[in-house]
Amino acid sequence: MIERDIVISNKLGLHARASAKLVQALHGYQASAFLVCRGREVNAKSIMGVMMLAAGLGSPLTLRTDGPDEEAAMNTMVDLFERKFDEGQ
Amino acid sequence: MRFVLTGSGASRGMALGRARLQHPSRYLVDERPLPEDEVDSELDRLKRAIEIAREELALLRDKLHGAMAREVAEFIDAHSLMLADRELTSGIFDLIRRGRMRASAALNLQRDRLVAVFEAMDDPYLRSRKEDVEHVIARVHAGLQRESSSAERKLAERVGEILVTDTVAPSELVPLAELGVLGVVLSSGSRVSHGAILARSLHLPMVVAAHEALSTIHDGDLILIDGEAGEVIAHPSSADLARFRTWQRESLQRSRQLALLAERDTRTHDGAEIALYANAESAADIALARASGAAGIGLYRTEFLFLQRRELPDEEEQFLAYREVVLGMGGLPVTIRTLDLGADKADSSGLALDDEENPALGVRGVRLSLRHPELMRTQLRAILRASAYGPVRILVPMICAAEEMHQMRALLKESARDLRSAGHEIAENVELGAMIEVPAAAIALAGMIHELDFVSIGTNDLVQYTLAVDRNNDHLANLYDPLHPAVLCLLAQIIAIGKRAGKRVSLCGEMAGDRKHTALLLALGLTDFSMHPGVLLEVREMIARLDLAKLRKHSAALLRAPTRERIDRVLARMGA
Repeated sequence: MIERDIVISNKLGLHARASAKLVQALHGYQASAFLVCRGREVNAKSIMGVMMLAAGLGSPLTLRTDGPDEEAAMNTMVDLFERKFDEGQ
Repeated sequence: MRFVLTGSGASRGMALGRARLQHPSRYLVDERPLPEDEVDSELDRLKRAIEIAREELALLRDKLHGAMAREVAEFIDAHSLMLADRELTSGIFDLIRRGRMRASAALNLQRDRLVAVFEAMDDPYLRSRKEDVEHVIARVHAGLQRESSSAERKLAERVGEILVTDTVAPSELVPLAELGVLGVVLSSGSRVSHGAILARSLHLPMVVAAHEALSTIHDGDLILIDGEAGEVIAHPSSADLARFRTWQRESLQRSRQLALLAERDTRTHDGAEIALYANAESAADIALARASGAAGIGLYRTEFLFLQRRELPDEEEQFLAYREVVLGMGGLPVTIRTLDLGADKADSSGLALDDEENPALGVRGVRLSLRHPELMRTQLRAILRASAYGPVRILVPMICAAEEMHQMRALLKESARDLRSAGHEIAENVELGAMIEVPAAAIALAGMIHELDFVSIGTNDLVQYTLAVDRNNDHLANLYDPLHPAVLCLLAQIIAIGKRAGKRVSLCGEMAGDRKHTALLLALGLTDFSMHPGVLLEVREMIARLDLAKLRKHSAALLRAPTRERIDRVLARMGA
């Protein structure tokens, strides 16, 4: 199991479209993936879970992956957050 | 069963498509408890409905094109994923299985639970995304309520969707058209509302005031709409479909015929030269204006730069947008209208005062601009910088008095001086004109014409203000009459005063692009028209059939006519 702490930096936060990109990006990884925000933990492969996390701009987030390809899954997630979900802001 | 609804035609053209009801609250909800032996079949119904909703989303995604396609596709992906997510669906299945609720009631309960979670969120954007939940649930509701026969459904799958709703905001229409929506049916609304005007400019067939539409048409029904006759036919017969195919063939022929006129000058039958300008706000409009042989852009609206965003566009962003238009027109004049945020245009930039008692008479147009001189300086600087790339004119909306023109002129001079001293190249002389759309300006025009480099008549508002008729109020649609004697009198006066002073007068309201009014406007002495580029060729064709000298002889009779009926009689004599 690995964990990484990040802060949400895209302007609109984890809204439906960004959540969809996260779920789609994780598709195909065997590792389980979770997001933890303000003590709540959700399955990062469930769009409803990610949306309901209500994580807006500036929210601190812990990413956690667990499984055979946990490293690759983590990198995929971190990359997406760093690219601000390709939203340009 | 075939049935026909009659509304009023707001945007010409026919469309055949699947009705897409945008009214989640109107879905039938069956609250009766579910008997145990129906649980399995109800679960199957729900699974099927979810499947239908997912298929529809996939179909829709395939049809996307245009500038908004990427963003819309992202929404569709999100909605498809939501429909596949057990966190959404298992709750609904549970409510049916354990709670003994019917699918429609279970959907609503699950929606309300989820919406409540969103409503408790702090971030305003994330909170607003409860819409995604509502949208997805509405699609499943629609899937539950399919009523069409299977043959009809087959046809309906091949055609696009026709939106059926109560009202539609102008800002929603462009993405809808780009989404591939074929037409719009509104249960309320009027043909002179902004939405209707925009639909015409998008060539999106629209029927408004079809009062029974939401209660009689079901989601997924195959419907045929006729935006000219104002008719909506549900479950069309084979005769209706034949009529639609004939129309399709003819409209194709007609557009080929009109295309031949693109290279021609605009002249009346007796050889008088008339200038046809285009109204524009998008790159597509500019391309169409060029393709139709417009004399220039008579009205470039800048509001779109300010709408649907959180902060104001800066000088650079505006400059690039205006330069794009100027370059796109290749040396033909471009008339840029300064910000005209009005009451009926949604505004998210926090400029307009909210909750005005009477926004049509509130802080809008130049009134807003003069209250925010910084905002205006930024816009004027951007326009002036674009003037280095081709001829530009500046048009100020909602002018009531000469003082407002003085202030605008002072801002313009100051901006030009600042730019020059900062080393920017700008045109020697940029004309500043006023939109005449308030009766006060029309009546007092003789006194302020020397302040203006040119005049543009905005008939849409001039008619509304002269007649005290709200153009968005469908109960007053019959009173909104551009041919009212008072309106004709004002139009003739504005044109005559402009001419006497040697100033160009153009007309950029809806009237300019309506062939029914071409003869009348020529008779009143108008020589410059500005209209949506999509109708420019039709108007050019009409002008070529008319004799200006003959029409002008009727102008006195037109202006003397005391009633609408007498005006119609003169028009009939003119052959209009």
